[in-house]
Amino acid sequence: MMASRLWRLVRPVACNLSRTSALNNCAAPALSHGLRFQTTEAGSSKPTVASPSPLVKQQLTDFGAYVAECLPKYVQKVEVSHHGDLEVMIHPDGAIPVLSFLKDHTNAQFVNIVDIAGVDKPTLENRFEIVYMLMSLQFNARIRVKTYTDELTPIDSVCSVFQGANWYEREIWDMYGVFFANHPDLRRILTDYGFEGHPFRKDFPLSGYVEVRYDDEVKRVVVEPIELSQEFRKFEANTPWETFPNFRQVEGGETEAAAKPEEKQ
Amino acid sequence: MATRSVQQGLKQVKPMLSVDRTEARRRVLNLYKAWYRQVPYVVKDFHIPVTVEQGRAKVREMFLKNKHVSDVRAIDMLVIKGQMDLVETANIWKQRNHIMMFFQDTVNPKPADFLSKFYEGQD
Amino acid sequence: MAGIHKVTTGLTGLAVARHPHQTLKVLYGKILSQLKKMPTEAAYRRNTELIVNERLAAVTAEPDVVKLEQRINCGQIEEVIIQAERELSLSRRMLQWKPWEPLVGQAPPNQWKWPLA
Repeated sequence: MMASRLWRLVRPVACNLSRTSALNNCAAPALSHGLRFQTTEAGSSKPTVASPSPLVKQQLTDFGAYVAECLPKYVQKVEVSHHGDLEVMIHPDGAIPVLSFLKDHTNAQFVNIVDIAGVDKPTLENRFEIVYMLMSLQFNARIRVKTYTDELTPIDSVCSVFQGANWYEREIWDMYGVFFANHPDLRRILTDYGFEGHPFRKDFPLSGYVEVRYDDEVKRVVVEPIELSQEFRKFEANTPWETFPNFRQVEGGETEAAAKPEEKQ
Repeated sequence: MATRSVQQGLKQVKPMLSVDRTEARRRVLNLYKAWYRQVPYVVKDFHIPVTVEQGRAKVREMFLKNKHVSDVRAIDMLVIKGQMDLVETANIWKQRNHIMMFFQDTVNPKPADFLSKFYEGQD
Repeated sequence: MAGIHKVTTGLTGLAVARHPHQTLKVLYGKILSQLKKMPTEAAYRRNTELIVNERLAAVTAEPDVVKLEQRINCGQIEEVIIQAERELSLSRRMLQWKPWEPLVGQAPPNQWKWPLA
């Protein structure tokens, strides 16, 4: 017990040490992004992470600037992530214009919709982020278009631009409860009929609100409010295990117990 | 000062379906009527152990459960969900157990007074 | 036009164009007339006019389809026609959207900040 306690003290320091040494290896702070995944030393190599070439990165930056120049009404921000992904942040009103531009413009030709994703950030004023991922076969490029909304603000459906967006938007409606205006067929797609709530919201509990079981008396599947019984648990930030109070030694008591044998020696 | 606070309170938002309360109210009443008319067919199609009167009472109860909602967009959202529910019911995409989920007939009410809690074995 | 015609494009649903030069000239003319309705300082108009004028010049200068494809360097001539059709429909919709206007609204603070903490 004592040894593990000591190790817990030592470990963060050790981690910090290794991290600082890795940072010192980098030549300049401005270049640290690019150098982070370069395979110069045998010890620090990360072969699983592909580093984007500076040329590709420059091309993406240029194309992002091009999109922002062509659509100043809707594009709020453009950035290239350190993995080499181009991200265009747009105002929610501009979903259809921006995606149409990316699909139909000769220099873009992102005719393929890969996915539409939702992100829930509950602390923000507009808590939901909608991410459109597009691909251009002509130029072998991918792009992400991000926009935002909240629980009650409808966002324009892009089904008129991309037919494939139909099910993706139904998924987001089902999982997050974002309403897509002018969607041809907006209804549930992943949850069961009669299911209430939107499971991918951060405030939706992991266990859900109901449990489903077969009832032999009424001869059908019934849905009842969930009841989880468990022993009283005491949650503390400093340890993720042994939170059962009956089997746990308190912080002060343990040090006393550990100190006593040392005094005897 | 008062005008400023009023301006802050009134945020210009994108309407969901209805632009004002009368329109939202009309949508709610239309949905209620549609459910009310659907109840006999639901009882007949799903072979559920419920009379038409009980079904209509349940529809009324489900609508009254949300009577405190005053935001027009929140009302619209509930109407949209109720509409989808009605479509699922009318097209018989749902099954018997999904309809009976409204009635919660297997759920025992929680014990409230001391003696019933004692019988239940709760502390 | 040379006597040798392409038999197939090799792409499903994409038929060989009979008169690609004529088709492209008509399409590019239509796009240019749409672009003329936009304000001159609009970046979309400038960039698209650049592309279209370059391709139009190539189409007028090069009678041989194979050499034209090589010169445009954006797929087969049938694909170039499709691109022109898309650009035309986009330019028509752009006239309604007017994307050269100033930004409709800034994002709320911290909306694009990540990580949040």
